[in-house]
Amino acid sequence: MPGVTRLSVRNLRKSFGTHEVLKGISMDAQDGDVISVLGASGSGKSTFLRCINLLETPSGGEVWVDGKQIRMLNGRGGSRPASRAQVDHIRSELGMVFQGFNLWSHMTILQNVIEGPLHVLKRPKAECIAVAEELLAKVGIADKRHAYPAHLSGGQQQRAAIARALAMKPKVMLFDEPTSALDPELVGEVLRVMRALAEEGMTMLVVTHEMSFARNVSNRVVFMRDGIVDSSGAPEDMFGAGASPAFRQFIGHFGNPQ
Amino acid sequence: MAAWELLGLGAKGWGAFLLVAAVTTLAVTATALAIGAVAGAAIAAAKLSGSVILRVIGHVYTTVFRGVPELLIIYLIYFGGSSGLTAVGAWLGYDGFLGLPSFAAGALAVGIISGAYQAEVFRGAFHAIPRGELEAAMAIGMSRRLRLRRIIVPQVLRFAIPGLGNVWQLSLKDSALVSVTGLVELMRASQIASGSTRQYFLFYIVGGALYLILTSLSDRVFNTAERRANRSMSASTIGGA
Amino acid sequence: MDFAFLSSTMVTLIRAVPTTLVLFSLSILCGGILALGITALRVSGNPVLSGFAKAYIFVFRGSPLLIQMFLVFYGLGQFGVIRYSFLWPFLREPIVCAVLSLALCTAGYTAEIFRGGIRAVPAKEIEAARSVGMSGFLLVRRIIAPIAFRHALPAYSTEIVLMMKSTALASLVTVWEVTGVAQRLISQTYRTMEVFLCAALIYLVLNFIILQAMNLLEYSLSRHRRPFAPGLRA
Repeated sequence: MPGVTRLSVRNLRKSFGTHEVLKGISMDAQDGDVISVLGASGSGKSTFLRCINLLETPSGGEVWVDGKQIRMLNGRGGSRPASRAQVDHIRSELGMVFQGFNLWSHMTILQNVIEGPLHVLKRPKAECIAVAEELLAKVGIADKRHAYPAHLSGGQQQRAAIARALAMKPKVMLFDEPTSALDPELVGEVLRVMRALAEEGMTMLVVTHEMSFARNVSNRVVFMRDGIVDSSGAPEDMFGAGASPAFRQFIGHFGNPQ
Repeated sequence: MAAWELLGLGAKGWGAFLLVAAVTTLAVTATALAIGAVAGAAIAAAKLSGSVILRVIGHVYTTVFRGVPELLIIYLIYFGGSSGLTAVGAWLGYDGFLGLPSFAAGALAVGIISGAYQAEVFRGAFHAIPRGELEAAMAIGMSRRLRLRRIIVPQVLRFAIPGLGNVWQLSLKDSALVSVTGLVELMRASQIASGSTRQYFLFYIVGGALYLILTSLSDRVFNTAERRANRSMSASTIGGA
Repeated sequence: MDFAFLSSTMVTLIRAVPTTLVLFSLSILCGGILALGITALRVSGNPVLSGFAKAYIFVFRGSPLLIQMFLVFYGLGQFGVIRYSFLWPFLREPIVCAVLSLALCTAGYTAEIFRGGIRAVPAKEIEAARSVGMSGFLLVRRIIAPIAFRHALPAYSTEIVLMMKSTALASLVTVWEVTGVAQRLISQTYRTMEVFLCAALIYLVLNFIILQAMNLLEYSLSRHRRPFAPGLRA
């Protein structure tokens, strides 16, 4: 359903002690949007992503997922979620892919993928397995379903982690530097899976250093600097003449991607 | 009488008596380990909790029960438990002395001590869980309870196996002190046999050897368990996966 | 709470502290020396000697201290050789038996701890010492032992605290140290909890002092790991 707002963030703030990492970030993702969030390390982009599903508790601002606001309470000692159950529910609607894969090491790949649908969504086991095998085939590691994470390469682990997130049938997928921990030769296989997802119309928010992905796959690029959105727009504009001076300097470090 | 006759399983031999006592030793230790697992899990949870009061309680428990001689703790439970029981009996209208059964007192005392060591084992095992795996569980929408059951407990158990093996060995040796309550476990049985036959050296050597058999057998069991539990961690089984 | 009872109990128990300390210090001293010998055998490279050390460690770590102590206390007197030897006046004394078995037992544990320390000595530093011509006892004394001891210190502190607790077993061979006196008080007064609290407090204070002393030792042996402090050079 194009035009439906899947994710909306209003004036999000986050401080660690006296250090303000996010100084009021706003952003909307419509259905099918693929948004690349770029920025130097320390610009707050990972914290931003982690605040959306409350792995970090925002200090202020609003997060709306699929038209529902995450209710927060403001008391002494800062803000906290009003309902743990609501947070759990919203998290189950947001797929998260981590830089370090974070597969559960005591479970096989298949067990990792069915864990959420089976125990969080409480779907029948046969259905979970069928969906999981389909997803594993899609990300190209069907033959590894009975292996443990420690037996897989980084690229295979990350693809398994993407399958695990997809198994929850999320409304939005959040990617936190999904290729940064990978050896260069393994980056491509993960980016191919992400590209295929984008082409299927998945709504995605991707924190990344992969300029080629930002330029060629995403339909919007957001550049963060010092806890604020410095500039954003279509990749053609951002990487073209309309780039802000700060963004131009930032991409200068990476060379100009094709 | 020759040594082999004294150790035989027949009517004049003490062999069967010692073997039964060895089984009692295992039973006391196993019961103590179970009691200690419950106490240890609770104390570890207290030490990991956000509440200052609970953390202090946990800290006091582990400091006291790891720092005070095991023998004193056995006296506390055995004599203290008996006076407590007698007081309850008096309150219910029974005038005589009520003793805490020596098996229960011994298993409880060794269990309380073992709980202090197990708490440290569990705490260490919890810290060994990669933080990212807990975050992934949160990110997928698992509730606290579900995270505990599906992610934390299985991993803690796996990481705790070597430490629990050490605690088992410790408790097995501590169980010898339960002999002071009169429970006929391996230590007490060696005392009785050596006292009645005046063959002190022989029976303490045999008793000691039986303990060595118990400790080395249980060492093997824990090593096997550790290998099994870590199958998912070692890269050596890629071919078999 | 009955403070008069608590304080009189405390006084009675504190009178037994010297006995506990004698048991403790003698067995740590003798056990430490014995452990050095066993460690030397264990790492000697000679299969017979290291086999003996392995067996020693296995036996003394694998069986309860109490049975070892009873074996020494009751078992040795059974033999005429010992009974009529010049050693008997000593071995007849319960406190000698207690120290002997405490030392024998802790030597097994300590030897393993020392061996762990030796294994932690970087091979490169041994190579460097050999390259300047050190070998044999000089190499051990100047390079291996100091590094190994520093590595072994945390585990050794734990073992020392365990030994403090183990001295309690001497009461079962009629040495009246703190736990033995506590047990006598309990059976005389039936006030288990109060007596326990007093005795426990004594042991916790002793442990605390030992651990502080060990921390101090560890601190003074780890100058190389601390940031350079120019003021201390003068």
